[in-house]
Amino acid sequence: MSRRWGMVIDLDRCTGCEACVVACSAENNIATAGESQAAKGRAIHWIRVERSWEGEFPNVRVRFRPVPCQQCDAAPCEPVCPTYASYHNAEGLNAQVYNRCIGTRYCANACPYTGRFFNWFQPSWDKPLQLQLNPDVSIREAGVMEKCTFCYQRALVAESQAEAEKRPLRDGEVSPACVQSCPSGAMVFGDLNDPASAVSRLAGLDRGVKLLEEVGTFPKITYLARES
Amino acid sequence: MRRRTFLMFSAATAAGAMWDVAVEHGAPGKELVRFIPETKLIPGVTVWRPSVCAQCAAGCGLSVRVVEGDAEVVRKGQSGLIKVGLAKKLEGNPGHPVNRGKLCARGQAGLQVTYNPDRLSHPLRRTGPRGSGQYAEVGWEEALGELHARLGPLASPSATSSLAFLTPPLRGQRRALIENFLSGFDGSALVSFEFFDDRVLREANRLSFGRAQLPTFDLAQSNVVLSFGADFLGTWNSPVAQSLSYGTMRQGRSGVRGKFVQVEPRISQTGASSDEWIPARPGTEGELALGIAHVLMSEHLRPAAAAGSAGRWIAGWSDGLPEYRPEAVAWKTSVAPETIRGLARQLATHSPAVAIVGGAPLAQTNGLFTALAVNALNALLGSVGKPGGLQFTPQLGSIGPAAPAKSKSNAANLSGNIQTLAQQIRTGKPKPVGALLIYQANPVFAAPPDWQVKEALVKVPFIASFGSFTDETSSLADLILPDHSYLESWVDDLPESGAAEAVLSLAPPALEPLHHTRATPDVLLDLAHRLGGPVAKALPWKTYEAMLQDAYTPLRHLPGSVSAASDDEFWSKVKDQGGWWSAGPVPETKPTAARGRSQPVKNQEPEFDGPAQDFPFHFLPFPSQQFGDGRHANLPWLQEMPDLLSTAMWGSWVEIHPGTAQRLGIAEGDLVEVSSPHGVLRAPAVLSPGIAPDVVAMPVGQGHERYGRYASGRGANPMAILGTKTEPETGALAWAATRVSVRRIGKGELCLFSVGPLEWGAKQLKR
Repeated sequence: MSRRWGMVIDLDRCTGCEACVVACSAENNIATAGESQAAKGRAIHWIRVERSWEGEFPNVRVRFRPVPCQQCDAAPCEPVCPTYASYHNAEGLNAQVYNRCIGTRYCANACPYTGRFFNWFQPSWDKPLQLQLNPDVSIREAGVMEKCTFCYQRALVAESQAEAEKRPLRDGEVSPACVQSCPSGAMVFGDLNDPASAVSRLAGLDRGVKLLEEVGTFPKITYLARES
Repeated sequence: MRRRTFLMFSAATAAGAMWDVAVEHGAPGKELVRFIPETKLIPGVTVWRPSVCAQCAAGCGLSVRVVEGDAEVVRKGQSGLIKVGLAKKLEGNPGHPVNRGKLCARGQAGLQVTYNPDRLSHPLRRTGPRGSGQYAEVGWEEALGELHARLGPLASPSATSSLAFLTPPLRGQRRALIENFLSGFDGSALVSFEFFDDRVLREANRLSFGRAQLPTFDLAQSNVVLSFGADFLGTWNSPVAQSLSYGTMRQGRSGVRGKFVQVEPRISQTGASSDEWIPARPGTEGELALGIAHVLMSEHLRPAAAAGSAGRWIAGWSDGLPEYRPEAVAWKTSVAPETIRGLARQLATHSPAVAIVGGAPLAQTNGLFTALAVNALNALLGSVGKPGGLQFTPQLGSIGPAAPAKSKSNAANLSGNIQTLAQQIRTGKPKPVGALLIYQANPVFAAPPDWQVKEALVKVPFIASFGSFTDETSSLADLILPDHSYLESWVDDLPESGAAEAVLSLAPPALEPLHHTRATPDVLLDLAHRLGGPVAKALPWKTYEAMLQDAYTPLRHLPGSVSAASDDEFWSKVKDQGGWWSAGPVPETKPTAARGRSQPVKNQEPEFDGPAQDFPFHFLPFPSQQFGDGRHANLPWLQEMPDLLSTAMWGSWVEIHPGTAQRLGIAEGDLVEVSSPHGVLRAPAVLSPGIAPDVVAMPVGQGHERYGRYASGRGANPMAILGTKTEPETGALAWAATRVSVRRIGKGELCLFSVGPLEWGAKQLKR
């Protein structure tokens, strides 16, 4: 049976430190927008930490949660694409073929999680910052949509390594950059088709909920609710 | 285009540019040379090399992803391309006992230190007035020659002026090297400077527990955590180790979920994770801790004697703290008596429990008292040295042959601070400061204006900096001899906290140097050799690598993470592992007994700078999630990382309670003016429900005048309006003790990350 990559984010462990945010920018060659573009809402973060305030002083609580693309099983972003740039791959990921994308932004419009980002300008790096770029991840041009890939490039490397060693992939062997960095261990990644994987076990906990479950997108990210 | 040019262009493009952004390499008309590779890496194959994170003082271990790629370099005056190992990603070193494979946002952004476009690539000599930033490139021989010529006279026994060395607090052999270097200069001073320096807590821990050291918390086994202002999940102490441990406390044990209560007047990133937020009045945290201790004793939950010697610094401790009845404490702290009783009962009945103190509560004029009160509470709870409590990471301080050379009369002053240095420069006593060497510290940016640091430093006849960037302090230098980045250097550190075992973080360079820089330890060794005499004698090593090897190979004989049959094998294994950690008891410097004090520390009312009628608000500058004390403001990834609570990017802001803002006619995003008796600044307002109505807060880190293209001229620097009140027992700056007034100026601009938040369904968070 093929793999079905999924993630669990434990909001009771998450500290809102945003190590995931910077790790993602570093791994995925996300260009920095700069102040003036960012002020127009054009900064790109494939994963963001949302927060909301509750109550009034002094009985105030904050809650927050990291939100990347939810990698839906019934992804609204896929059927709307006129060029089949956003499609479902064999391992269940909502993938984006950058060189098919013509920038209609229908997918961003359809995504209820605002998990998709448009490149409003040609990415550039002040020399020698281009040396930081990850050779495994392509750069997206102006006019193209982009989004979280679950760091699929890492899965590909691990899969070919396991194949070369003639062994199955081990649970936990593949980690997206956000998961690998997460200091409090709030994020877990793995194969949802493997009932013994950590991610399958955690996704089945009572605390597990999906984001905007009611819209019927069947996300592959499960959030574990805070207990207080 | 001629055929020849075209071929050159395409060859360079195909070979050199894996990304379209790199195409400029082959600009026609520019001669492109390809040098012979200096490293042997297989194209496309990742190599992981250990290193040590230098972004804060935690000393986490790194794993650097190195892949072969093209870099533009200059070799013998010729620029061209060369295949080198390039760092592509930083991860935590999975085997390292402090961070166990994890890394924080600031650590992740460390790549942009090495590849920063504003990094200095060669030595510079000043050509314009001091602070103008006008420099001309010079060769290393010339620069070293000049430094030698300037320092030579100061090293002579008859020197009439002295040498000062300004650094952040250093550990390991870097500190030993600089101390040994200074031992050859009569009356020289090692001045260490860090804005958020935890001096008060170290002194309190020395008195309470006999260890002048930051504590390590075993949160993973705690059932209740009560933190007084400590941003332990964000920027304070060893944040990655503490976050790891916190995650386990919450959901890593079956059937047990630890509870976490945060006491602070403004919800910090750490406070945002708490189950209960208690906004006690600033400066009354010690009072609250003793109120809790009073309940523990009066309700016979813990006997006073349980605190042992930690209780003796608090007057009335052995009598059960009669002055700290919850009703009396409530009046001062504005925390309800029932809350105080409830906290005490929870701490007592759900052991193990631990109290943490750090940050703003200790940056008050009564900071030492507050720290001692929390220490005594911990001792009363029985959480010192116990699972689920606090402990002290064993220190390898006395290991190695490179301990500072003890010389008779000319012993260097190794405990100077920036105020005594400024004083010495101004008065010329005990000796005029003839030369100042600056390594990494930036006190011109991070000090209150009345200390007049800049005004003092410019009076020094000669200043040399080893900085990688021109910042507010290093731009005063006459000569800049830029250091390698930490990924390009031999790095060693002895973490003060964050692990149960003694830890040496150590690694060889993960990368070839990108620029024409030199490692500062090697420059100092070279300089010592040139100076000759006692300096050369104190530093006989040719390279820093040799010095490290001499210092740390004796660890082979201790029980630890490396077993080896020979010193060489040991050294090579330590290099591969990224350090060494103990697996059993290690010889430590004997804990120092409490010196110079026999009386309890008085509980003084906190004093604030600025009269309350003119300056009605407490001003809370807080270390920012992105920039710490400001040193990371030149890293674009961190500039564009939205702040957790305000979502602000690329700027600074003032946090105000919505009710206060309404009263002052201030709306979100309005430009406001914050005035203290010491200065004025302007920044846009963020209305935050998580702040007390009489407090305004500002992140530290922005407002650089000179710190490269990403940081300069951006936002405002809250340190620039701070008063100079100190904690009298330690002399530490009370940076949270300034009062301010606030008024609206007009419309302002906030750069907020506007994506999300989505609806929070009722099921999503059981609260």
